[in-house]
Amino acid sequence: MTGFSKLAQVEAKLLLRDPGAIFSMAIPLFILVIFSGGTSPGDTALPSMSMTIAVGLVGLYMVPTTLATYRERGILRRLSTTPVSPGALLGVQLILQLVFAMLAAGLLVAVSIVAFQAAQPARVAAMSAAFLLGTSAIFAIGLLIAATAASGRAANGIGVLLYFPLAFLGGLMQPKEAMPELLATIGEFTPLGLFRQAIHDAWSGAATQPLLLAIMAAYALVVGSVAARFFRWE
Amino acid sequence: MAVIEVADLSKRYGKLHVLNGVSFSVEQGEIFGILGPNGAGKTTTVECVEGLRRPDGGSIRVLGLDPVRGGRELSHQVGVQLQQSLLPENLKVWEALDLYASFYDSPKDWRELLEEWGLADKRNVRFGTLSGGQKQRLFIALALVGDPKVAFLDELTTGLDPAARRATWELIKQVRAAGVTVVLVSHYMDEVEELCDRVAVFDRGRIVALDTPSNLVSAVDADQHLRFRPLAPLDDAVLTGVPGVVSVTRSGDQVVVAGRGDFAGAVTSALARERIPVAELRIERHTLEDAFVALTGRTFDSEES
Repeated sequence: MTGFSKLAQVEAKLLLRDPGAIFSMAIPLFILVIFSGGTSPGDTALPSMSMTIAVGLVGLYMVPTTLATYRERGILRRLSTTPVSPGALLGVQLILQLVFAMLAAGLLVAVSIVAFQAAQPARVAAMSAAFLLGTSAIFAIGLLIAATAASGRAANGIGVLLYFPLAFLGGLMQPKEAMPELLATIGEFTPLGLFRQAIHDAWSGAATQPLLLAIMAAYALVVGSVAARFFRWE
Repeated sequence: MAVIEVADLSKRYGKLHVLNGVSFSVEQGEIFGILGPNGAGKTTTVECVEGLRRPDGGSIRVLGLDPVRGGRELSHQVGVQLQQSLLPENLKVWEALDLYASFYDSPKDWRELLEEWGLADKRNVRFGTLSGGQKQRLFIALALVGDPKVAFLDELTTGLDPAARRATWELIKQVRAAGVTVVLVSHYMDEVEELCDRVAVFDRGRIVALDTPSNLVSAVDADQHLRFRPLAPLDDAVLTGVPGVVSVTRSGDQVVVAGRGDFAGAVTSALARERIPVAELRIERHTLEDAFVALTGRTFDSEES
């Protein structure tokens, strides 16, 4: 564990200095504030959407960009000549990004309840489970981008390019009821669509759909192992 | 005692043999140079020794350990500066040193390294805003922060201005004086001549010579040149008969005498005997670059990069 806690400390500072972090926190908050004028008290749909946007931005934009940049800059390689393995840096990064996504989600829950009269989450345990499984699924896609992108800039580009269609299909651009039926159905099985639905179910108190959780777990497992298989340290 | 022993190292990428039977050993406390043009296999060799690459054949021992299997144990005793490695843009100088110091069991005091490497006034500056020379000094400091027994420095002074290069050389001499064995990869002849106790000259994946820089230079078996401007009429025949002289040519009002061995002394005696005063007398002595040309039959910079 030499250097592990220092590594976590330094990486946390770097995360907070990254303009992408402010961006990932501000965009969903902005969406929440702008559109909450059109919601009625007790709403849970808009807060669920904004939370999905936050996790999507962290997972598809921050995770791949950070990791691919570290590889491109030779930081992972440099670490492998020290007693600390580059795997430790990878682990620290994933944990910090997860913590960051949780902080963003917590902030969005608090703001939507306090400022916009959203309902309190009906089932906190189900919501936490949905959050962890969904975040793992979305991070797995981010890891796959990091594994295959040639550079930090490329990872950034792929992440952004992938975010928009996934956000559209996931019902983050417009309510899924307003989408063509086929696209809405496809969208239900995309990572962001699953995440939004599972969070919304738990927040509003609707019955948990085990299928959604299972598909998210499958995404995390399958995409995650493909990413691990193709990940290059240099 | 040999700190590094490399025997019959080979490495292929596909069908391309990048290393072919490379053997050398590095002694405790010396600065060992690895010199060669780009693409000669220098960095591949050093990366095998550092444990970053697995060789296809041969054996490597660093401080008695195998760099791949003994990697973790070895990493506490070895410091590395990689040729193409950066830090996060937003990492501050002191944070980088503090972080890397935390990786090692018995690190140096990084505050002293800040002073030594002239970075004290940059301690709160972010990596992204450092100049090329400051970045390079930080990398060297990071390579030394674990208090290593062996330091690998790859293209140490690339991107530095001449004054910064000289300053860096002085610091590297201090590193050696402190008992650290240094392996220096370079394609700069002057750097190797200035710093290295011994140098392995690489060409196309092989070591073509291994000796002290001065022995490499004096072993060059090629003509040297003596130039001067005669101040009185001179018959070339006076010089062509002098022992060791190979040819006498004229270039404008200059006479160029090519020869071998101690021909220069004989030529000046002959001129004195004939009472021919000369001006602008100059001996063009061999450099490491001539040694390289003599060893490989090619100029140093003509290699593909």
